[in-house]
Amino acid sequence: MGIKPILSYLCIAIALCTTLFPYLWIFIASFRPFEALVRPFEAFVPTFENWRAVLEKPGFVRGILNSIFVGINVALISIVVGSPAAYSFSRFKTGGNLGRFGILALQMIPPAVLVIPLFLMAIRLGLLHSLYGVIIAHLTFILPVIVWFLIGFFDQIPRELEEQAMVDGCTRLQAFIRVVLPLTAPGLAASAIFAFVLSWNEFFYALILTGGPAKTLSVVLGEFWTFRGIELGQMSAAIIITILPVLVLSFLTQRHMVRGLARGAIK
Amino acid sequence: MGFISFYPLVSAILTSFTDQRLGVLAATKFIGIDNYYAAFKDMNFLKSIANTMIFAFCAVLLEFLLGFMLALVLHRHFLQRIRGVVRSLLFTPMFVTPVAVGLMFRYMLNVEYGIIPYLLRTLLGVQVDFFSPSLALFSIVLVDVWQWTPFMLLLLSAGLESLPQDCYEAAKVDGAGAFSTFWYITLPLLRPIMLVAILIRTLDAFRVYEYIYTITRGGPGIATESIMYHIYRVGFRFFRMGEASAKAVLFAVTVLIIVIIMYRTLRRYEEWV
Repeated sequence: MGIKPILSYLCIAIALCTTLFPYLWIFIASFRPFEALVRPFEAFVPTFENWRAVLEKPGFVRGILNSIFVGINVALISIVVGSPAAYSFSRFKTGGNLGRFGILALQMIPPAVLVIPLFLMAIRLGLLHSLYGVIIAHLTFILPVIVWFLIGFFDQIPRELEEQAMVDGCTRLQAFIRVVLPLTAPGLAASAIFAFVLSWNEFFYALILTGGPAKTLSVVLGEFWTFRGIELGQMSAAIIITILPVLVLSFLTQRHMVRGLARGAIK
Repeated sequence: MGFISFYPLVSAILTSFTDQRLGVLAATKFIGIDNYYAAFKDMNFLKSIANTMIFAFCAVLLEFLLGFMLALVLHRHFLQRIRGVVRSLLFTPMFVTPVAVGLMFRYMLNVEYGIIPYLLRTLLGVQVDFFSPSLALFSIVLVDVWQWTPFMLLLLSAGLESLPQDCYEAAKVDGAGAFSTFWYITLPLLRPIMLVAILIRTLDAFRVYEYIYTITRGGPGIATESIMYHIYRVGFRFFRMGEASAKAVLFAVTVLIIVIIMYRTLRRYEEWV
């Protein structure tokens, strides 16, 4: 083996270590008893105390359920609303190039601009500290991303299939529902999961628009280390609980997600 | 979709011309461009802009260099067998909840009980406080690099794979060396996608918020306050909605200008190809 392959392997090894080490370290930390948290390299007896405390912490399980509720709603709405929109962008070139680019631009509006009106609107509608406000806020940036994703999946379906169906007597809508949608099912599923992950990870809108029992998981997690106090062990367990679902989901659908993300950049 | 984004957008612009404050009984008045005028003279706001610029520049530069290097290494033929697994492992950070990432690194970089300062102390004998006034912003950059280098790697790998093979065969026939192949073929062909990757990441980095919230809360002092965090503080700690809206609109206009430049540049590339 020459020097070049060795350097390559070394490079990859370093990258892998840096990437994976934080997960491992936090995972270990979640089993550390209180004294061992501040002494990184001393042996300790693993304990499940942190995990028990986190799950019994008032509001934590509620946060998980809230995040699941918001995520599922966001995913469903963005697929139901987004797939006809994406279909129209893909087949009829609605809005032309500018339209396509406009979708991406929408997603780039800084949340700081939208959050103030959304907040005032939520107060007026009585949606502040309820989950519906967050669902709306999340849709402002997730819906464009999902439409962008779906355009790519629809572009791959050959037009002839729907034309065939329409010759056989389907309307355009029937052709869309019975022929195109089933063919894009894997893409739709991946997009829904991606929407769920984006919503689950979102923090800024959730912090401002939810409170009390309506807090989503990311907001609850953010409260583990404040000026008022630290619970490192519990925090580590909470981090693992928060990131495990998104890691698993994204790992399962990574192929589709990577393709969708990359396609945005390469035409 | 138009409604869900445009109504708040218009409403934000209207709010920015008023002196609206929550919890104040006096009626909201129209005050024209006073908020904008004040924003340009607000030292805290200017400082947050500077912080955000420095942060975005350092983070994106590091992410680009690391991501490009890794993409090139992973593109080697002899790595074909492990490429898939390695990539999917390296991609994971970008799907992790940013709040969790912030807290993970706050713990690991903590000067008293974090693993990284501990290792530096015992192995190299240097004492580093990652959250001291001079280093805090750079530590936030490190956190961002951990989470978002995978995104650069993703786009650049996809770019490398989409390059036409015949160019390389032609170069080989002409007897080009590894370096000149890279310099005269790979780099120019990859330029559009490098541009897209850098611009997407820059726009994203401008919005940095979660790491600041979970790690430093803008501190020490306002040494790490970003634009987003500043607007959050003005709007939702002091409830000065008019002022916060004006700053947010300024921020959005900057982003819009960058997006337009990006669109123009890309269209020009399309005409060339």
